[in-house]
Amino acid sequence: MHHDHMHHKEPEALPDYKVGRLPRSAPLAVPFVPFQSDNPPQYSPEEGFTRGTIFPGLDLPFHNTVNESNPNAGTLLGEMQSLSFALTDLHLYLDTHPHDHDVIRIFEEYNQRLAQSRKRYVETNGPLTLTDAVQDGKYAWLQDPWPWDYQERTV
Amino acid sequence: MFIYEKKLQYPVRIKNPNPALAKFIISQYGGPDGELGASLRYLSQRYAMPYPELKGLLTDIGTEELGHLEMVATIVHQLTRNMTEEEVKRAGLEAYFVDHTAGVYPQFASGTPWTAATFQVKGDVITDLVEDMAAEQKARTTYDNILRLSDDPDVNNVIRFLREREIVHFQRFGEAVELARERLNQKNVYMFNPAFDRKRAVSHT
Repeated sequence: MHHDHMHHKEPEALPDYKVGRLPRSAPLAVPFVPFQSDNPPQYSPEEGFTRGTIFPGLDLPFHNTVNESNPNAGTLLGEMQSLSFALTDLHLYLDTHPHDHDVIRIFEEYNQRLAQSRKRYVETNGPLTLTDAVQDGKYAWLQDPWPWDYQERTV
Repeated sequence: MFIYEKKLQYPVRIKNPNPALAKFIISQYGGPDGELGASLRYLSQRYAMPYPELKGLLTDIGTEELGHLEMVATIVHQLTRNMTEEEVKRAGLEAYFVDHTAGVYPQFASGTPWTAATFQVKGDVITDLVEDMAAEQKARTTYDNILRLSDDPDVNNVIRFLREREIVHFQRFGEAVELARERLNQKNVYMFNPAFDRKRAVSHT
């Protein structure tokens, strides 16, 4: 199966990563979307976060314009958001591919990294959820900034 | 239940306020193909889903959409921060301003308030999943159109992220249709609705 390489910036050496599986024979009058193949190629959590998916095979940008970076790249918050996002994307993948043990292992690895990253973030920047709301005997939940506040740079 | 995480899924940092952009980006907050309708559609449809993969997928995508709702609100909030009356007039934002000042209200770009009439919960597995696939495409097109109209790089960075999520969700809903179809009668997929005709569903699989 050939793809039109004019319209997408293709990562190299990943044959067929945009080709999925369909049933050999299928009933009429039912919509079909190819199944994404098991253990598909993946971006790093940081690159996947900037591009909006960890899967190059699903990365189909409008007018072939992609994000080169994101506002939190290189910060503690950005690291935590990248890992958290990678887990979100793998989570949806595993909902429809619950037996893909390669991806389950990657999920576990990112989950461990996220736990460490989250701990560092909370110690430096304050609470993320109600279980962090009290820190050193103080109610830290109300401290600025809130996620929607404009900030010139990430703290 | 849900708990709040005090962070955005993806960062929003709009350097230059621009109320004119907020006028149409608000549609992805409370418009016909916006994130509020998306989250409520999936989170409401999940109760009629008979298979664990589909219960999980609708829960997880519906939850992610709530995070997108917050991101779109944040874009609107930052685009309209520190507005003066003069800037409201110059942006043509008077109609919105007189009703909501600089608050974030769920409405279409055209001003119609958000309504549940923009989506369905049909209680039929194939029907609801096909609606979900269409919903992801409608939201993707809306983000395409926003990218056509906006020349603000900070806004477009976030919009590109949100648009890509629609493509991933479309793929997952398509896979969900196949996971459902495999469990239905192979000669007549529409013989029964497994969300309602439960006894029949067991006898035919």
